[in-house]
Amino acid sequence: MRNLITLCVSLLTLCLTSCAREQIYQTQSYVFGTLVDITLVDVPEPRARMLANQVMQDFQGLHNRLHAWQPSDLSKLNAAFKQGKSITISAELKQIIIEATVLSQTSDNLFNPAIGGLIQKWGFQRSEFTPVQPDTKVIKALVEANPQMTDIVLNVNTAYSRNAAVQLDLGGYAKGYALDIAANYLRSQGVKNALINIGGNIIALGKHGDTPWRVGIQDPRGPSAIATVELADGWAIGTSGDYQRYFEVNGKRYCHIIDPRTGEPTQGTEAVTVLLPPQKNIKGSSSEAVLTSAGVLSDVLSKPIFLLTPLQRPAVLQKFSQLYQLQDVMIIDNQHHIFITPTLAKHIHWLDEKNPQQVAILNSISN
Amino acid sequence: MSLLPAQTKLANIKTAKPLLGDWLVIIAGTVLVIFLFANLWSFAPATKLLIRQGDKILGTYNLNQIRTFKIHGPLGDSIISIQNGKVRFVSSPCNNQYCVHQGWLKHAGEVVICLPNQLSLELLGSKKNYDTLNY
Repeated sequence: MRNLITLCVSLLTLCLTSCAREQIYQTQSYVFGTLVDITLVDVPEPRARMLANQVMQDFQGLHNRLHAWQPSDLSKLNAAFKQGKSITISAELKQIIIEATVLSQTSDNLFNPAIGGLIQKWGFQRSEFTPVQPDTKVIKALVEANPQMTDIVLNVNTAYSRNAAVQLDLGGYAKGYALDIAANYLRSQGVKNALINIGGNIIALGKHGDTPWRVGIQDPRGPSAIATVELADGWAIGTSGDYQRYFEVNGKRYCHIIDPRTGEPTQGTEAVTVLLPPQKNIKGSSSEAVLTSAGVLSDVLSKPIFLLTPLQRPAVLQKFSQLYQLQDVMIIDNQHHIFITPTLAKHIHWLDEKNPQQVAILNSISN
Repeated sequence: MSLLPAQTKLANIKTAKPLLGDWLVIIAGTVLVIFLFANLWSFAPATKLLIRQGDKILGTYNLNQIRTFKIHGPLGDSIISIQNGKVRFVSSPCNNQYCVHQGWLKHAGEVVICLPNQLSLELLGSKKNYDTLNY
């Protein structure tokens, strides 16, 4: 009889705990010129609001410090670079330059935050994009000036550039960097389950109830998602696309992703999506991978893949796979053909049933 | 004559401790009630408002706003108010005012219909396939 009562009580407890619904706090704000969305699970409301506000404030602070064309630490640095002067920089900015330089070298300079001059000439350093046709001579001169991250010389707390053409634009880095900062902050505050979305770049903490966080991937030419993927704890997802920031002239699309080799917006690709696992960052294991986190990588690694031709991609995918455990990649070309790595093919969930038949498997990443 | 033994039996049963079967019934009943409560009781907050005018859908509206507007029906204008997650009829040209008296709708699946003026408000839940969108 006593056993029965114990059984009964434990059954009741089990039921009651499974009944308890998760508490979800969600907030949205406009930072980095885009929509930021923060979801916290099972954090009591006043604390959740406080934490989310802190993250938004951190983002706003980053935005103010790293803004490429409004008065900021970064624009001061750019002004000094132009004049060939040395300038005092913050420890944060120094660390960012070090990391961005490593990533630029890793990607054979296809990820190149030093080409702010080109981005400005193409009119993408503005809040709204109007069609621009820059002077081809100016573009050619900027490409020939060959601004590189390695032109920047860092001292203890100062920096200068050996090349006056170096103008930093962290557009392909800052959102990912902010994701890592937010994820670390929330973890330090004891938050186990959260989802942070900065303009489509997303990092996941923990889970959503009993299931992993589920992320929809936008159709580059349609109004809805084409597929969903699950993001496990610490994973990040990022997409480089030609469909959010672009303008059209005579039916030709000019997207915001500028090829540093030509100085022109790229034409061959609609979107590249990458999923990054949490990074181990074991020092000494690979000097190239030190200090880099999933958020930054989810922002950065899609760019080189976006710029390369299908024939050039296998080598870079292989490299990223070795350095950063990048296994999950989806590429949509300008004919709207979908290419996907075998690893991602296994766990992607297509929302349109006719999609799976049209998808080609990228057999480039050999494990 | 035959009643007495029966009464004694009944008294015996009353004082007896609950048997295994009784416990199983109690447990089964409790589990069933809790299961039904957890699964059928809807706490899902609504995200969208669907307005029907006559037999056609007038549109879906975001519930996350503060907005008051008029909708035209056969009897005249009904006034509807959306206030951050809830919606109600503020006024209606109908006789019995059932729709106005229904008050605020808050949960997904709730509906208020004004038959005389042929208008209905329905709250839709978020049946999204994903938690957030990558773009």
